Amino acid sequence: MPAIQEITDKLIRDNIQRAVHDVFKTMLGHQPDFVSASVQLAGVHTPAMPAAAENSHPSVVGTVGFLGDVNGLIYLYFDVAFARLATSQLLSMSDAELDDAGDEVVNDAIGELTNMTVGSFKNGLCDAGYPCKLTIPSILRGSNFCVEPISSAVRHTFYFNCAGHRVVTDILMKIGD
Amino acid sequence: MRYKLLTVDDSKTVRIIVRKAFKGFDCEILEAGNGVEGLAVASKEMPDLILLDVTMPVMDGVEMLTKLKSDPALKGIPVMMLTAEGGRDHVLKIAKIGVRDYLVKPFKEEVLIEKAGRIIDLKPLSEAPAKAKSIFDPADILIVEDKPAIIQQIQEGLKHTPWKVHGVATQGEAIDFCSRTPPDLILVSLSLPDESAFTLFRLVRTNVKTKYTPVFALVVKTETTQQQQAQTLGFNAIVTKPIDLGELETKMAKAMNLDTSQRYYALEGDTLVMRLPENCAPAVLAEAADYMKPKFAQAVDAGQNKVVIDIHQLKSLHMGVIKLLFQAMQTCRDLAMQFVLVGSAQIITECKGFEDTRGWTFFESIEEAKANLSKSPAPQLASTT
Repeated sequence: MPAIQEITDKLIRDNIQRAVHDVFKTMLGHQPDFVSASVQLAGVHTPAMPAAAENSHPSVVGTVGFLGDVNGLIYLYFDVAFARLATSQLLSMSDAELDDAGDEVVNDAIGELTNMTVGSFKNGLCDAGYPCKLTIPSILRGSNFCVEPISSAVRHTFYFNCAGHRVVTDILMKIGD
Repeated sequence: MRYKLLTVDDSKTVRIIVRKAFKGFDCEILEAGNGVEGLAVASKEMPDLILLDVTMPVMDGVEMLTKLKSDPALKGIPVMMLTAEGGRDHVLKIAKIGVRDYLVKPFKEEVLIEKAGRIIDLKPLSEAPAKAKSIFDPADILIVEDKPAIIQQIQEGLKHTPWKVHGVATQGEAIDFCSRTPPDLILVSLSLPDESAFTLFRLVRTNVKTKYTPVFALVVKTETTQQQQAQTLGFNAIVTKPIDLGELETKMAKAMNLDTSQRYYALEGDTLVMRLPENCAPAVLAEAADYMKPKFAQAVDAGQNKVVIDIHQLKSLHMGVIKLLFQAMQTCRDLAMQFVLVGSAQIITECKGFEDTRGWTFFESIEEAKANLSKSPAPQLASTT
């Protein structure tokens, strides 16, 4: 298994930007704009999770992992309003229909958007020589929570603006074998 | 034939998107949430196409595909992968097991439809399949012609119809139009540069939304080579310049499978009125003749036995019209229906000039004819041979 150090920041940045762009543009018809990025190296503790500031309001967070020559997890943060908007656009549902359908439909839609985004990111890694497979998606809901990586993980956080909402991708990748 | 399409995906969202994408087509969508369910539905329903995800709980798509291909009863079902797993090596590995196509998420619904349309013969679903469209219903006609005068001439000639005639000048504009609003009929000029009319025809026929749309070729009468080429390629009809707009309208209505019977037959109160238009070209007479027996029978079935044959709009009498009128009169006699004729002074005079029609009695208006229907003797029936 190649060491994580071999995977450059540029490869990660290019892949996640392309993945977010392709998925949001194709499935929702919105062009996301990249805002900023931060990197937290393994073993370096920072007091707050990079995405924590975006998480003070209720959020819907999709998670999908990738396993293989490179292992990791990606969290995709949506505020509740954008999660609902994205679901209604993805499934051509009105607000009233969405209310009737409940959170389960929003969770499934955000899970699928995360799956597509992580899939697209992961396919870029595969084509660059790091074969890996996806895990099934899961959903976190709530506010003021934070996800802390284990000490051997590298964290890359990317911030996007899309349709007037903030979207955060938090990538945690495990180092070494 | 209604096709069955099975979507196997653990995401309800994807299954809803698939259902939504195929909503406008004549196919039944079956769903399964994992490979085990997918195999069970495939065995029971024998779908015509399976859309298969890879990463699923219980049994993933690769395992389901392997089992499917090793089952003699199921191995013939075409499979299209629809998955976020799109790395080159992964795709090659799955392709070796045997799939017809591979679509990587995210995907556009149009692309999914186009790819599925290459495997099964998808037919667009009519919005109102139970009711045939009539000549009084709106329709979108697309004219692809780089000469604005021709477009204008056709628009002018068809302005009495409820059809909306759209004109574009190039192949590219036509493709854009078709992707936005699939028209009910396309008329394309063969004189477009670089043989782009033929390229357009091929593109229209490969697009699932327009593959059954009638396409007419518009060509100068003397350009026989182009006409032959269009016929060989499968254009639905050839329309020659100078354009006979009456004939064009008739051909268009026929190609769009419109119910044109109301042009010639109408139930007015307790009377069936048969009307012939101003110009009775052979195509018009053939159309009126086709509807005659069913329309007369329908009137009798509804308890109506009076017919007014109205030819007052007719410009001039000729043998084709006379034959049709004899046919109508004979049908009335066969069905024991009373009938009267309505005609203009000119038509009445022309009738006097033919041996067979000399004895026909006419009324000047429908009202007068209706009022006298039961009193009037039936016109003499002469031989048409």
